[in-house]
Amino acid sequence: MAMGMNTHKDTAMTTDMSPGTELSGVRLQRLMTWLSPAFPVGAFSYSHGLESAVEAGMLENREDLSSWVETIVSSGAGRVDAALFRAAYDAVISDDTEGLAWALERGDAMRSTRELGLETLSQGAAFVSAAARHWSSPWVGRLSDIAAETAREIAYPVAVGVTAADHGIAELPALEAYLHAFAANIVSAGVRAIPLGQSDGLHVLAALEPVVVAAAGAALDRPVDDMGSAAIMVDWASAIHETQYSRLFRS
Amino acid sequence: MATGRAEIEFVDAGGCTRLAHLYQSDPLRILFPNSGPGEPETGALVTTSGGLVGGDQISIVIRCGTGAVARIVGQAAEKIYRSTGKDVCIDMSLIAEPGSWLEWLPQETIIFDTARLRRRTVLEVATGARVLAGEIIVLGRTAMGESVTGGLIHEAWDVRRDDRLVWADAVHLDDDLPVTLAANAGLNGARAFASIIYVSDDAASALPLARELLPEGLDPTGLRVGATCVGDVLIVRWLDRDAQRLRDAYGKFWAEFRHHVADLPAAMPRLWAI
Repeated sequence: MAMGMNTHKDTAMTTDMSPGTELSGVRLQRLMTWLSPAFPVGAFSYSHGLESAVEAGMLENREDLSSWVETIVSSGAGRVDAALFRAAYDAVISDDTEGLAWALERGDAMRSTRELGLETLSQGAAFVSAAARHWSSPWVGRLSDIAAETAREIAYPVAVGVTAADHGIAELPALEAYLHAFAANIVSAGVRAIPLGQSDGLHVLAALEPVVVAAAGAALDRPVDDMGSAAIMVDWASAIHETQYSRLFRS
Repeated sequence: MATGRAEIEFVDAGGCTRLAHLYQSDPLRILFPNSGPGEPETGALVTTSGGLVGGDQISIVIRCGTGAVARIVGQAAEKIYRSTGKDVCIDMSLIAEPGSWLEWLPQETIIFDTARLRRRTVLEVATGARVLAGEIIVLGRTAMGESVTGGLIHEAWDVRRDDRLVWADAVHLDDDLPVTLAANAGLNGARAFASIIYVSDDAASALPLARELLPEGLDPTGLRVGATCVGDVLIVRWLDRDAQRLRDAYGKFWAEFRHHVADLPAAMPRLWAI
């Protein structure tokens, strides 16, 4: 955690080359691979409730989409995921098996709706299985063992947090990459569901850059007692998505 | 600043539920109004101070022993007054032992502008027990046209079954509150939001019923309500610009739902109407 907080402050100094911010070589490549839309977690099949918000007439243009994703990243599931990511990452760094079990349990239990639970837990399972096959990680093995012993499912941010920590990838860039991938996936769902042009999607992604940076930075300073979501409309949208007649997405 | 505690325990005594333990300290009081025909033993929770201020710490423990059938109702809306920095902390613990039925029906929590509230509700629901619990948050004294410009609302739920955490949820509103309240993914202009949580071995099979009882409505300015089920936990979420309309629909649903799942009267307690 301390390392992460320093990292966060150091980002303002572009000349800084401390280990906390350095990200190049195989570590950079791994992070890009794991959080690429091509990584086989099935991200494209989840809209995080967006599909029913579109159906309800709440999202009609790129401004609506931008606002929708901004709230999710900064104070919705992005905030909860960032807290879980950090708890999992820090547990690995400090060799804290109990802390890891806590992150695992919270991540498994925090399912605001059935489909949002499916979204994070299916991707978590797929991530662990794909990452463990090609990049050996003792901590991912330990995470899987605890999950099996305690009959828990692994939430996506917990899976990524443990993997990133075990491969020595600095916390802040890893969390930024995670939140960026999460945001980009919802934007992609929006482009398909609203629908919008590719150019609108890129416009939204560009607008979200500072949001992702701020959300990752804030997550490293926030007390764990503040873990929670303000994206109440998303929970509603996700709940009604379960009975939506015509649907492309699993969430 | 106050530190209040209330403890209530109901037990089953040969097919009849009775009070086994009661402890109360200011500003909490528990009254026992006449429950009404066919109704479970009912306690009414009262905050004698009329509201809570930053620094107040309240803890409430409600235990329903094996086979007991009981209900605790908020006597009136709970007011959370403006704070200069300290949080109001409320810890609720609802414990239902095998075969029991426990209903926790609070009235609205009214969040004054710049109030700070942290409330954690922990449900411990044994196999074979059932709990129906709720929360309603109203942002600002809407009757006066007040809205909230700052403050904190942290509303967290943990549901445990046989000592295992099975579901957790937390609403956390702070930082730029007015922005979140207006944001389309935030409250989208809603002034009140609420949840109903039903924990039971057969919660999943009650989901179609819950959906059937929900008011229809995709009116973009109106009530929004949706139901979902995660394992043994059924959750109904509500949002509305109009706090009174939400309350009416919420009460109607509650009455019908308890009637269908527990064969209790399709009615709300008299206190609810006051």
